[in-house]
Amino acid sequence: MDDREEAGALARRRRRFDGWTLLIWIGGGAVYLFLVVPVLVIILSAFSPNPYPEFPPTEFSLRWFREVFQSEPWMRAIGFSLWLMLIVTVLTVVLGTTAAYGVSRLEFRGKQALLSFMLSPLMIPQVVMGIALLYIFTAMGIIRTMAGLVIGHIIVSFPYVIRTVGVSLSNLDPKLERASMNLGAGPVQTFFRVTLPLIRPGIVAGGVFSAVTSFGEVSISLFVVSPSNMTVPVRIFNYIDQTFDPSVNAISVLFIAVAVLALIIIERTIGLTKVM
Amino acid sequence: MTRSSRTPGAESAGRYRRNLFSWVMLTPGLIFLGAFLAVPFLLLFVISFRDVDNWMNMLPTYSLNQYLEVFTSRFYLHMIWTTLWVAIVTTVICIVLAYPAAYLLVRAPNRSVRTALYVILVSPLLTSVVIRTFAWIVLLAQNGLVNEVLMKLALISEPLRLLWNLNAVIIAYVQVMLPFAVLPIATSMGEIDPRLRQASMNLGAGRLRTFWKVTLPLTIPGMMSGAIIVFSLAAGSYITPLLVGGRLQPLLPLAIYQQVLQVANLPLGAAMSMTLLLLVGVLVAGMGLILRRWEGRMHG
Repeated sequence: MDDREEAGALARRRRRFDGWTLLIWIGGGAVYLFLVVPVLVIILSAFSPNPYPEFPPTEFSLRWFREVFQSEPWMRAIGFSLWLMLIVTVLTVVLGTTAAYGVSRLEFRGKQALLSFMLSPLMIPQVVMGIALLYIFTAMGIIRTMAGLVIGHIIVSFPYVIRTVGVSLSNLDPKLERASMNLGAGPVQTFFRVTLPLIRPGIVAGGVFSAVTSFGEVSISLFVVSPSNMTVPVRIFNYIDQTFDPSVNAISVLFIAVAVLALIIIERTIGLTKVM
Repeated sequence: MTRSSRTPGAESAGRYRRNLFSWVMLTPGLIFLGAFLAVPFLLLFVISFRDVDNWMNMLPTYSLNQYLEVFTSRFYLHMIWTTLWVAIVTTVICIVLAYPAAYLLVRAPNRSVRTALYVILVSPLLTSVVIRTFAWIVLLAQNGLVNEVLMKLALISEPLRLLWNLNAVIIAYVQVMLPFAVLPIATSMGEIDPRLRQASMNLGAGRLRTFWKVTLPLTIPGMMSGAIIVFSLAAGSYITPLLVGGRLQPLLPLAIYQQVLQVANLPLGAAMSMTLLLLVGVLVAGMGLILRRWEGRMHG
């Protein structure tokens, strides 16, 4: 009698347990759906021949992709964005890697404050950064030039390199560098022969983050860009601010593809969980 | 004797060279950030005290006029309040939605499911904010997908006006910023020793009680670091509100953008920027304090 009662209570508890688990899974699933639906809608619209998206889709067409590839302004913007991305990535990786190394190997008062300063562009409202740069670039005479854009993009990409390279550096066994020094190598030689090859995953991941950040940056770019040198996101912004054009869908699909590619590279090099 | 006295000298010379090298490595990055992050902010701070004439030319005089305008006009006070309110609502919704999402990520039955969830979470972060926001225009427009589906299901007869209001801004914000809340919470959750939850259940606590007494307190650090990021992003963005909310929403970042690029009143824009920085800074510092207190309590 007692036994049976207890078994009943246990079964009830297990049933309740299953109910909660089910509820959480449904809730969590809905959240992921909420995250993914907008992306799916864009992809769906990009391959539809109609100017307005419909659900369910009736036809498949590459019309909007063709329109993008035949449009001279879009292609010029894509070319410009890719150029910019290349320059920004190289410079950010060099500046960020050296700075991350310097900080990790030094002990001084205010080191934590310095690190926060280097990571601060992630938190500062970008509109504020935009007008601060607008003012100083105007004073320097580099407003609406490529140099201004490069500088602005480096500032927002910099923290990512500091983080990814920082992760790699903290995973590095300090004995390896010490061994190299003990064997008579100087700090420069040790850095290039020992440290650099070992932190390559962090550098690659940082480079991917910089590239993706630069390619998608719009908040700061809007303040310093010129109409003749327009990046793709700024052009998209100006476009959808005024009219609705489905070729933006096709461009977006390209961006999403780039993002997924970047994701794969980061996962292969340093692991997503460590840097996000 | 000579040998042992030379070694420490050589060692300190080696350390000196290593330190010198580290400083040399650090310097270019520091100069860059100093020139293009610290200096522009100092200048912006100074400009916020400048006066302007009727044609928005900066005058060589300094005063608190711009701040007086921001803090005494009803218009701007309402704007500050709305900005904070939108950011807080976004943060709260993100945190609430993040828990089940993080749970799924941590408890995913196998690797491929977990990878799929990860891709869903992280790929938006690598896509331009313009594109993520654009998706919401496609969804919420008068002839957008949501209205179309609702009309087809005959739930509504007229298309709803879903865009151009603060609700649209909050919905888009939540979707854009949710991953920033999910990832740190999932990290905290993954670090909880499963035996703790088991012990709580064995002692007779139900699922809800276990969540309140074990899981929630142990995930506070992840929750707070997620909240800090979401809040500062939601309080400081202008692209998303501009595109789905329209130009007239009373939000500080939006007003700064317009004040500088359209009205060309840089000092007022600068004063509003400093106000925004201060608001975000104070709230983020407060949340950081709670985070550290809590971590101190957790680890004794």
